[in-house]
Amino acid sequence: MSATPEESPGREEKPFLWVTRPLATAAKQFVKSLWRPSTVVYPFERLEDPKFRGEVAVASGKPIGVGEIWDNYRGVHALNINTCISCNLCAFSCPDVCIEMVTVPGGDPKHPKKCPQIDYGKCSFCGFCSDACPEGCLSMTTRYELSVHKREEMVYSPARMFEVYKSKLPMNPIRVERPANEDQILLDPPICIGCNACSRDCPTQCITMLDIAKPTAKPGEKLPKRIWKEPVINDSDCVRCGTCISVCPKDCLFWGTRQ
Amino acid sequence: MSNVSLYSVAYTLSSVLLGALAHLFPAPIHGWLISGTVVTALAAVIFAAILLLASMLNTILLIWYERKLLGRFMDRRGAMHVGYAGLLQNFADGLKLFRKDTVRPGQADPLGFWLSPTAYMVTSLVIFGLLPISTGWNGGSLPLTLLLALVIFSFAPLFIFLGAWASNNKYSLIGGMRSAAQMIAYEVPILLAVVAVVVLAGTFDLNTIVLEQRNYWFWAPLFLALIVFLTGMLAEMERIPFDLPEAEAELVEGWNTEYGGMLFAFFMLADYLRALVGSILVVLLFLGGWTLPSYVPAALTSFPLAGIVWFMVKTYLVFGLFVWVRASLPRIRTDQLLRLGWMRMVPLALLSVLLAALVVLSHCLPLIGCVPSMGG
Repeated sequence: MSATPEESPGREEKPFLWVTRPLATAAKQFVKSLWRPSTVVYPFERLEDPKFRGEVAVASGKPIGVGEIWDNYRGVHALNINTCISCNLCAFSCPDVCIEMVTVPGGDPKHPKKCPQIDYGKCSFCGFCSDACPEGCLSMTTRYELSVHKREEMVYSPARMFEVYKSKLPMNPIRVERPANEDQILLDPPICIGCNACSRDCPTQCITMLDIAKPTAKPGEKLPKRIWKEPVINDSDCVRCGTCISVCPKDCLFWGTRQ
Repeated sequence: MSNVSLYSVAYTLSSVLLGALAHLFPAPIHGWLISGTVVTALAAVIFAAILLLASMLNTILLIWYERKLLGRFMDRRGAMHVGYAGLLQNFADGLKLFRKDTVRPGQADPLGFWLSPTAYMVTSLVIFGLLPISTGWNGGSLPLTLLLALVIFSFAPLFIFLGAWASNNKYSLIGGMRSAAQMIAYEVPILLAVVAVVVLAGTFDLNTIVLEQRNYWFWAPLFLALIVFLTGMLAEMERIPFDLPEAEAELVEGWNTEYGGMLFAFFMLADYLRALVGSILVVLLFLGGWTLPSYVPAALTSFPLAGIVWFMVKTYLVFGLFVWVRASLPRIRTDQLLRLGWMRMVPLALLSVLLAALVVLSHCLPLIGCVPSMGG
């Protein structure tokens, strides 16, 4: 309205547009958002709600609706305590050292059951732990809401992750296939003392202690003091967690390929 | 329309209260309490309290209304969580401001600093008290109500300038100067537009002006005057696009930069109260006040307090217009505002005065059909 030709060269033809065009734009927007503005009222409704799945975008070769959570989204872990074998592989594989194996009820006193406890203050959601899990009991869900009031609340105990599991959230189905580990647990027989530690701590109970023949001592030679048993590992049951190697007091177990 | 007037409500409340109170006291005090003087005095106090309450409630609701409406214009939702649809958000904000300390800058002038928000608030309240809301619902019916309201309306830049000067802050001072300078751009067109209405109605009394619109609302013959009056009111309320005195981008918060706590709340409330009063003036002068056209079914106008309800609906719609403008237009410069006021609005207002005179002379509206019975 007040614009003059010499001041604003673009407007000399229709100076009235300076007022009317913005008014029209705003009115159009008002009518459009009168029933529903495009704001998603987040705690009460979420982008993944079906009503927001209007438009379709193509990502990773698969049509994904706007707001839909991707299939390979890596959120809070779900842990099935019942199938967890306490193999410790998740804690081993964690690059952030945020997984601690804590005792949960259900094990026997000699053989306590340990399940992962994850500190989400450190977790980088890489998913290595769920890839490493031999039993598939630790997997990642699509839950992304992790805000808490206290730092301690960021630590998810096994029981809490079991709650997540029981809530039947969509799991992350895309799992990196575990690289075929051709290595097996091998024994260096002369060093073994037959102490049973490996068999005791094997999460899958695939190590059995078998008797070996006690050699007859030659005159003047002293037999080593040991139990005359040796571990035999059932390769098909072994999950290659390495627990036996780490518990062996004599370091007589090692990775290798059986000839 | 119902016959309940604001004064009868106040008087009934007063006599009931005093009658109940009088039972607690012995004879001489009892008799004095229910005497006409005391009842009338209390009625006046209740009267003022009702007006104050109505103005404050409406003002706070107006802020909520603007926030929600502005949200829709901007494709969002506005206040949501406190109360139903955020209705109580502004009460919460007011409570917070009420609890805050009011800090006066060390170099500021105490008298001017404290006086300015209070005077700004009080003058705005006085205008609200002057304006009739419905038949019998006004603070007082004077022959020159309209003129008085407009005079008090234009006091505001004085107090703004006073507060800005007393704040001893350069941004406040520039804001106050702009407010005072802006006044000369809009006062003349506003008054000329009002002159057109007054010519058509033949009176300065707002009640009579509304009654004169029984045949047709004045916006029809005086559309130009309505446009001028709306634009002038936007400048008078210092709302976007004419909010030069508190241009946030350049002047921090303009003339109320140094004010905090309840003093800021006073300025804020008075701002919106003036917006409410401006909308009410538009409704009274151009949109038929509390009346509805005769073709509207009687059921819509006969329920109790129908006048007030329709009046408020119209007022909020007019305010919605202001919000629409706020959502659309950018702020303009002082020179642009002055050019707009003097080179566009004054001629248009003069033209509308001429139109009004022609309408009165002919006693006829050729544009919308002949109206034989002209008032005034």
